[in-house]
Amino acid sequence: MNTTDIQIALCGSAGDGTIAAGDILRNAVAAMGYRVICFDVYPPEIRGFGKCISRVRITKEQTYALKRQSDLLVSLDDSHAIPHAGEVRTDGAIVYESKPVAHCPEGSHMSGHILPGQIPYGIPLRELAEKATGGARSRNLVVLGVIAGLLGFSPVPFQKIIEKKFAKQGAGVVSRNLAGFQSGYEAGQNTFKLDNVFCVPMESVPAAGKVVMLSGNAAVVQGCMDAELNTFFGYPITPATTIMERLATAMPKRGRRLLQTEDEISAIAATIGAGYTGSRAATATSGPGLALMAEMLGLATMAEIPCVVFVSQRGGPSTGMPTKTEQSDLNAALYGSPGDSQRIVIAPTNVEGCYRCAGKAFEMAEKYQTPVIVLLDLYLSNRYETVTLVASGPPFNLNANKPLRRLEAGEQYHRFAMTEDGVSPRAVPGDAGCMHVVTGLEHNTLGRPNDSDENHTAMSHKRHSKLQGALQHPDFTVTKRIGHSGRVKVGILAWGSTFGECLEAMFMAHAEGISCAAMKVVMLSPFPIDAVTQFMDDCDHVLVPEVNYEGQFAQLLQGLLARPVVRLSRVPGSPMPVELILGEIRRLAGAV
Amino acid sequence: MSLMEKPVFVDEKLQEVRESGRLEYRSRSLPTWCPGCGYFAIVEGLTHACNTMGIAADQSVVVSGIGCSSRFPFFVNLFGFHTLHGRVLPVATGIKTANDKLTVIGVGGDGDGFAIGGGHIAHAAKRNVDITYLLFDNGIYGLTKGQASPLSAIGLRTSTTPFENPERPLNPLMMLLSYGASWVGQSYAGQPDHLREMITQAIAHRGFSYLHILSPCVTFDKTSKTYTNLSMKVRRLPPKHDTSNLMEAMTQAQDLDNPAVGLYYQQFRPTLSDTFDQVVALSSGEGKGS
Repeated sequence: MNTTDIQIALCGSAGDGTIAAGDILRNAVAAMGYRVICFDVYPPEIRGFGKCISRVRITKEQTYALKRQSDLLVSLDDSHAIPHAGEVRTDGAIVYESKPVAHCPEGSHMSGHILPGQIPYGIPLRELAEKATGGARSRNLVVLGVIAGLLGFSPVPFQKIIEKKFAKQGAGVVSRNLAGFQSGYEAGQNTFKLDNVFCVPMESVPAAGKVVMLSGNAAVVQGCMDAELNTFFGYPITPATTIMERLATAMPKRGRRLLQTEDEISAIAATIGAGYTGSRAATATSGPGLALMAEMLGLATMAEIPCVVFVSQRGGPSTGMPTKTEQSDLNAALYGSPGDSQRIVIAPTNVEGCYRCAGKAFEMAEKYQTPVIVLLDLYLSNRYETVTLVASGPPFNLNANKPLRRLEAGEQYHRFAMTEDGVSPRAVPGDAGCMHVVTGLEHNTLGRPNDSDENHTAMSHKRHSKLQGALQHPDFTVTKRIGHSGRVKVGILAWGSTFGECLEAMFMAHAEGISCAAMKVVMLSPFPIDAVTQFMDDCDHVLVPEVNYEGQFAQLLQGLLARPVVRLSRVPGSPMPVELILGEIRRLAGAV
Repeated sequence: MSLMEKPVFVDEKLQEVRESGRLEYRSRSLPTWCPGCGYFAIVEGLTHACNTMGIAADQSVVVSGIGCSSRFPFFVNLFGFHTLHGRVLPVATGIKTANDKLTVIGVGGDGDGFAIGGGHIAHAAKRNVDITYLLFDNGIYGLTKGQASPLSAIGLRTSTTPFENPERPLNPLMMLLSYGASWVGQSYAGQPDHLREMITQAIAHRGFSYLHILSPCVTFDKTSKTYTNLSMKVRRLPPKHDTSNLMEAMTQAQDLDNPAVGLYYQQFRPTLSDTFDQVVALSSGEGKGS
């Protein structure tokens, strides 16, 4: 069996078209039937000379994370790419500019940094671009051609995507870009090839379900649309903005409404206002926006109003690192509101999970009449994966409201009536005779202000106990154990985007004969104590890798379960390195 | 103008109110305001307007913020949403966006609207959200027992300005007019008939209507916005006032010493719902601008 597994890193300066080239590359290979996982790193500025890297991992079967080592590094700007020369594996290759436009001071050209065992491909990228298109701007297309030619990919999928991508800019731009691609393709085809590991053509396109390539944020949007999101309110903030941008195109086409509000407070306020009327409503933000929404989320808890908030985390605190990933808003998501204000918090671990969590979030918000936070992070929001869509249509319940009984003549409607499961049948404006007031004040079953001790105790219990039902939510994977069954030396407990890296590390450890298993925890509040305890019982050591400084998930585990765990907390601004997790697994298993 | 033009007998008045149907719009909860508070006249005005206009109670929502005035939803028999301090307008915008069949009335005090919630007014006015915003201006924070508000008069002594308030008050009507509110009016709780009429007109307007209601706080302001002072100072807009002339409206709004009551300015333009419909049409390639 051939195991195609190629990782390509494109590196350039902001404005070089690095990310655009990466986008064409991943779309083209996905169209050929390969599975991809991709992640771009870019600076917070639009131009200026920040570093951009687009990494694409191309495989036959879906993988869970990027590899630390790339097989091919392509430099569009040596000053940024040189520090990454070391990430190319032995027998891997580096493509770089062979005819720089000016004299290079010593040490500033890639050729001086290629390590023994790496294969240098010096190609006159600028010259090729100028010859083919009359300008140097299409260097990124030339590079794309070089990659395709070098790896033996068919040029057709690339050409199709280039045509589509630039169609709006006119025929001239399309033909120039195609010419740039073609000249690079020829150069790539005609150059020497020492290592045939690159050239593993895909025999046939696998046909199980419809395979699409989506970013995490695009999957969130797809989930929202399939769950019939009705109204959306948002305020731009990296890395959540693309959720609103995509919805702004998709929603009006289905007759739905989206409003860009004046700030995050208004965004959540309007979301709650819309939720109050029975509309499926959502907003999306990042950590700073979540902080502004804290007070309003408490209102939704108190007034028992469904609403969904997508939070894509970035480096913090404060403005922090807007274009770098981190998992440091867990505490804010769990606890960031006045009073005892538990809500549902779920965190998908991959792009497919973004789709499922987005759709299920509406179901849970409606069913339990509560805010639901879907916790993403920049790494998950912006990474692309190929996802297989089920053919049987959207798997979401489009009305999860508890049925409302008709009132008897003269009967007064009790909005917050006590029930066995804590969920009261909800009337919304327009329901005949059901006039009532909802409030952020503590209230009795009618919704009237009431601050007696008995009432506050009973209502606090109602608001918390109703959420427990979410742990048994049908069709929703609250936790999932993967890896060796039974007793294991090392158990990995992880949440969010880091779980992919944990799986990669676990499989590498399996290959080394280490007994280990991993559990992903999707639901973070209410917490699946039983399932996690059971898993921990099976493990000699429990390792908790997460991308934050404080070990927020480890703290949560220790607070709830009072058991020792081994923390692996790092804040590199990038995904947790697989090797680091593997190193910890080896150490704990006593293999080193 | 005196508050009571003729002696009123309680039984007679009750009979009249019962027969009018206004009680349908009153809730079973009694207002928690101090006796003599101007807000009683506003509840009376709103229930009267609802009754006159035949508004369906179960198709209407009163949205409020936090403060004395914001307890309002509990005292009327409509759907009510008592939200957070300063957030009347974004919540009301969300409600109207999700269901534009509802009659949505926002209520709040001067601190709620112009201090903590000041940033939202411009945007609700700009978008022309089809809601009515009743701003209860007593120039003081009543529920927290008498601190200065952004509309407190210069020189007013309050618990947070014990020597005197050194700041000039905002001019809310000027702000609303320049924000582009499509209906801007002012009334006074000491003139209940005028107030009823203005609330009715404000609700009837299609677009964002802003009604500024001068209303004394009898407990915490004994010197500034009192019935005595306001009844002396308040005047009517001139009979020939042109409500389509923005500059004329602004000229009238300059006068804070002798505030004029009446409709300052009215404009008819697409509401937020209309713009949503336009976006839907554009997205399917039907409409090409308007």
